[in-house]
Amino acid sequence: MLELASPAVIWSAVLYLAAVVGIGFWAARRTRSAKDFFIAGQGIGLLVTALAATSAAFSGFVFIGGPGLAYRIGLASMFICIPVGFTSGLLCWVVAKRLRLLAGVREVYTIPDVIRCRYGSRLAAGLAAVAVIVGTIGYLGAQLQALGILIEAVFGTKALLGAWSLPAAMALGTLVILVYATAGGMVAGVYTDVVQGTLMMGAAVAVFFHALEAGGGLERMARTIAGSEAFGPEHLDPLGATPVVTALGLFFVFAVGTLGQPHMLHKFFMLDDPRKLKWMPLAIGASQSLCLLIWLGVGLAVPALVAGGRLAPLAHPDQAAPQFLLGFAPPLLAGLVIAGILAAIMSTADSFVNIGAAAIVRDLPRALGMRVADELRWGRVAGVALTAAAAVFAFHYGDLIALLGTFAFGTFAAALAPAIAVGLNWRRVTAVAASASIATGMAVNLLVEFLGRQTSFAALPKPPFVPGVVPAAAAMAASFTVLFAVTWVSRCRASVAIDPAVEAVMEL
Amino acid sequence: MARRAALVFLGLAAPAVLVSLVIPGPAAGVLFAVLAMAFPVALIVLAVARDGRLGGLGPPLALLLVVLEGGVAAMLLLRGRVADGPWIGGLPAAAAVMIYGLWLAPLVVVALAHALAFDRSGLRSEDLDELERRFRDPGESA
Repeated sequence: MLELASPAVIWSAVLYLAAVVGIGFWAARRTRSAKDFFIAGQGIGLLVTALAATSAAFSGFVFIGGPGLAYRIGLASMFICIPVGFTSGLLCWVVAKRLRLLAGVREVYTIPDVIRCRYGSRLAAGLAAVAVIVGTIGYLGAQLQALGILIEAVFGTKALLGAWSLPAAMALGTLVILVYATAGGMVAGVYTDVVQGTLMMGAAVAVFFHALEAGGGLERMARTIAGSEAFGPEHLDPLGATPVVTALGLFFVFAVGTLGQPHMLHKFFMLDDPRKLKWMPLAIGASQSLCLLIWLGVGLAVPALVAGGRLAPLAHPDQAAPQFLLGFAPPLLAGLVIAGILAAIMSTADSFVNIGAAAIVRDLPRALGMRVADELRWGRVAGVALTAAAAVFAFHYGDLIALLGTFAFGTFAAALAPAIAVGLNWRRVTAVAASASIATGMAVNLLVEFLGRQTSFAALPKPPFVPGVVPAAAAMAASFTVLFAVTWVSRCRASVAIDPAVEAVMEL
Repeated sequence: MARRAALVFLGLAAPAVLVSLVIPGPAAGVLFAVLAMAFPVALIVLAVARDGRLGGLGPPLALLLVVLEGGVAAMLLLRGRVADGPWIGGLPAAAAVMIYGLWLAPLVVVALAHALAFDRSGLRSEDLDELERRFRDPGESA
């Protein structure tokens, strides 16, 4: 059981939480319109956009879930991370430029707005909004679960509250997120993202080097793990114990699926000048790579420490990062890193509160031919409802944070990546193909996830895939297949009339 | 040509990925590995090809493809050889290929290729000015 952390750690966490609530209230006074609330008034520069994209993309999933998954399956877990070597370029080449240009010539605040502009279809936009809401509940849930585990570890609430510890810790974290995210909207999100992104990078680099020191260096850690009975050489073999379809399925989903992540794509709408995209891959790729050092460092150090008998085997893999920090890092470093992890969790959560709120009060009503009178006020109400739903969902999901995060990432990837990535680059993709692809991606991901996990209905079949398939990989392949097949079938019947502004953007 | 090839590849690779996830056996796993690595590169080709050509981006994209496919082939060949195989940079060879080859090498290649080609084939100022002149909402500049 984890004990109460040192005063330095507790004060770091308390000061950090107080600071972000303060930023939320300050930003609330600068949020005057729906454009401010949803896309920060479209006035932020290269570094802020890159930091915002990094801190939105990297979350409790990376900082808590990553080391946890590495503890469970070894280096195969890094297939989630390594696509960052090229996904920033993939994003900029395939979608970022067109998204930003589109936001300059049409009123585009959200990804369903993009779908509506590109395809002129309320059905496709409505389906995209539903996918955003479903994925948001999963992603927000992963953040709240990670926040609960961290608060529980730092404040030692388990000893005090027993079985109520995690729900109470999640409730406290939810409250803080709600205050600053729903009050300040994306203005608060962007300003806190800068602080959070910087903190995350500093914390990840510091903890990486400390992990190397604690474990006796990279090679010594690796040899200790390889020589242990508990882990063995397979733990360091990327394609060893983990099936190829699992390991490379994670790679496929986290590489191609990046093109459908609304919390990252959304940041490109906010860039003040599209010419600043020139160095964006370097800025995003470098900052993401620095943050991921925590996954590699703690992911190797904790198994090495367990294998060497310096740390007891973990009761739950997700305790890897908190256990390492509270047990092996100096209090000041632990405080900095705990604040960095809180930053990672909260920066992603606030992005999703805003994106999900926009889907509920803006995208879905527009798809149904309606308009909400006061989007700003109702956006805040929707944010509260969505966060509460996510907390309940996460509490009942009951699995690793990384798996919950993979489900959410996969929902966006399968539903949105084909219609956006191919649709913005090939004018023959039809509205009916986009709608079919979004519906297929969402449905297959949910169905395969459900059939793979459920034990209540014995008569239901298992998914028809080989063991170890990542549901999102199959769903994304199905979604791309449907997009191309339906485009081919419907190419003659449907007239592909595209808004001239959208067409001009696609030609650049 | 490049654009058409990318579209044909993507159109065939997507169902092939799906099939490779249903059929058991090592050959299906290898097929999945090859397609999963090439898929993102094909999407980039689809996005950047102009008049069927990749311009200056051809060599870096070819290098990216070689690094990704070569990296996964090396990891497959080195599978199960942690204890008796070579170690590079403090890690078993397969892990080193993953960290240094598939993560860090593409970061440098892609970031530089994007920046160096941006003014020529990414977004030219005159094209941006023309787009804004034709379509910017007049209410915004008022």
